[in-house]
Amino acid sequence: MGFGTYVSFTEWGVMGDPQWVGLENFRRALADPFVPKVWGNTLKYGLIVVPATTLTALAFALFVNQRWWGATLARTVFYAPNVVAVTVIGLVWVWLLDTRFGLINQYLGAAGVPNVPWLTNPAWVLFGIALASIWWDAGFSMVIFLAGLQDIPKELREAAQVDGASKFQVLRHIVLPLLRPALSLVATLLIIGTLRVFSQIYVMTNGGPANASASVIMYIYRIGFREFELGYAAALSLMLFATILVVTAVEMRMLRVQRW
Amino acid sequence: MVSAGAPGTAAAPPRARWRVSPVVAVLWALGMLVVVAWAAPFVWMVSTSLKQPGDIMTPTIEWLPRRVTSENYAKVFAQPVLRWLVNSLIVATTATALSLISGAMAGYAFARLQFPGRGVLFFLVLATLMIPSEMTIVPLFIGFLRADLVNNYAAFILPSVASVFSVYLFRQFFLSLPRELEDAARVDGAGRFRTFFSIALPLARPAVIAAAILLFTTNWNAFLWPLLVAFTEEMKTLPVGMATFAPGVGGQTQLQSFGPAMAAMTILTIPSLLVFLVLQRYFIEGVISVGIKG
Repeated sequence: MGFGTYVSFTEWGVMGDPQWVGLENFRRALADPFVPKVWGNTLKYGLIVVPATTLTALAFALFVNQRWWGATLARTVFYAPNVVAVTVIGLVWVWLLDTRFGLINQYLGAAGVPNVPWLTNPAWVLFGIALASIWWDAGFSMVIFLAGLQDIPKELREAAQVDGASKFQVLRHIVLPLLRPALSLVATLLIIGTLRVFSQIYVMTNGGPANASASVIMYIYRIGFREFELGYAAALSLMLFATILVVTAVEMRMLRVQRW
Repeated sequence: MVSAGAPGTAAAPPRARWRVSPVVAVLWALGMLVVVAWAAPFVWMVSTSLKQPGDIMTPTIEWLPRRVTSENYAKVFAQPVLRWLVNSLIVATTATALSLISGAMAGYAFARLQFPGRGVLFFLVLATLMIPSEMTIVPLFIGFLRADLVNNYAAFILPSVASVFSVYLFRQFFLSLPRELEDAARVDGAGRFRTFFSIALPLARPAVIAAAILLFTTNWNAFLWPLLVAFTEEMKTLPVGMATFAPGVGGQTQLQSFGPAMAAMTILTIPSLLVFLVLQRYFIEGVISVGIKG
């Protein structure tokens, strides 16, 4: 970490020794038009993925937590994508999201929806990647919600039902409020996950088309390991790390406030 | 039919469970539909991998291959897949074993030993949990490059040996373990190491299983780091090597290459999916213990 901070103040092309350049790398980052671009992409991606994954995972957890036929099967199926390598997620979804022959567009076409250029159009590409990420990730968040659901004392629900509350009222006024710790944990993990999103994008689009899906880490990877400007890459990393720290700190503060 | 009581009575007989309200039925059916949709990508992947090139891009959806072929698998095995598989196995098992041992020992030390600076040290260990690996990857890579630790097994394995997650998991486990057994062993004259290896570690089996599974999948699926330190074809791990089958998006080549790509992905998926299906209870318990307490 300390070494990384030092390198961020230098100009270093792997060969030879780092040259001290002071704040030059940070000044360059502020002037670099790609920096707001990749941060914007990452933010947009987060705005899609965080709420969508949270809601999907919550619905899954509620479904799986019932005592009806198939609940265990459903839990297994929902979690299964999470154990699979990211290469698989990326490649399988490139094929599923293929504009002309992909499964998704074929079914949408059958429903009368025109072909969506999921991964080839800058306006759609983040949605395409988000679909794959939700499929991959929702199972993990589901398990956190499940643990939260199982922590809710049975007596509370039963008492409410005896008092004549409908199932929906129990969900709205008892289950959801008590799930708040699990909810903030899921949200924090997803936000951090968003800030560090890389491998799906690397496999699915490599940042394209027209850099519309280039995330922050994608850019750091390009600068550091394609153009070998390690000093600048380290400076960009440091900025991302600072952001993640702030997000985590804010989340922890909010979590503590909720406990009061 | 003796006890067919009025609907909704609190003391309804077990039969009452079979009466399903339409809302519940619809919810259940919807959920099951989603389950099918969630499994569909896997089915489609396997199905595509068995199709002949001409049958892959069809104007209508064909879930079952018209003519089954192993041609795609043959194409995949033209690459050094077995070598990649061996690399992955060596790297993932060694890294998992080493981080289990180091995690168990460090976790035990944090839980049981009194030494100056223990609190501060443990806080520092936890703090690194907040730092995503991608953050440290540039300095880490520079360090490894300088030490000439690239393109060999040590380069793959070393960064994952000190697993904070594993330290944390074991510390929590040992804290919940009653001290008396270990004290008894000490009284009988066993040293610290004896006590650890013959009393504490065997008792920690559940923690070992949970940690082993989670660490192994993480190591098996690792992507960014192996991508960086593998300079030559024969040093790639399976996930990195299989990524070379990625068809360029929108490119013409992609029309030809989905068959082999899906075959490669099937090969890559089967081990992790099998392990998951066999040990799924431990998987989910492991996530709960980490997710909630972490």
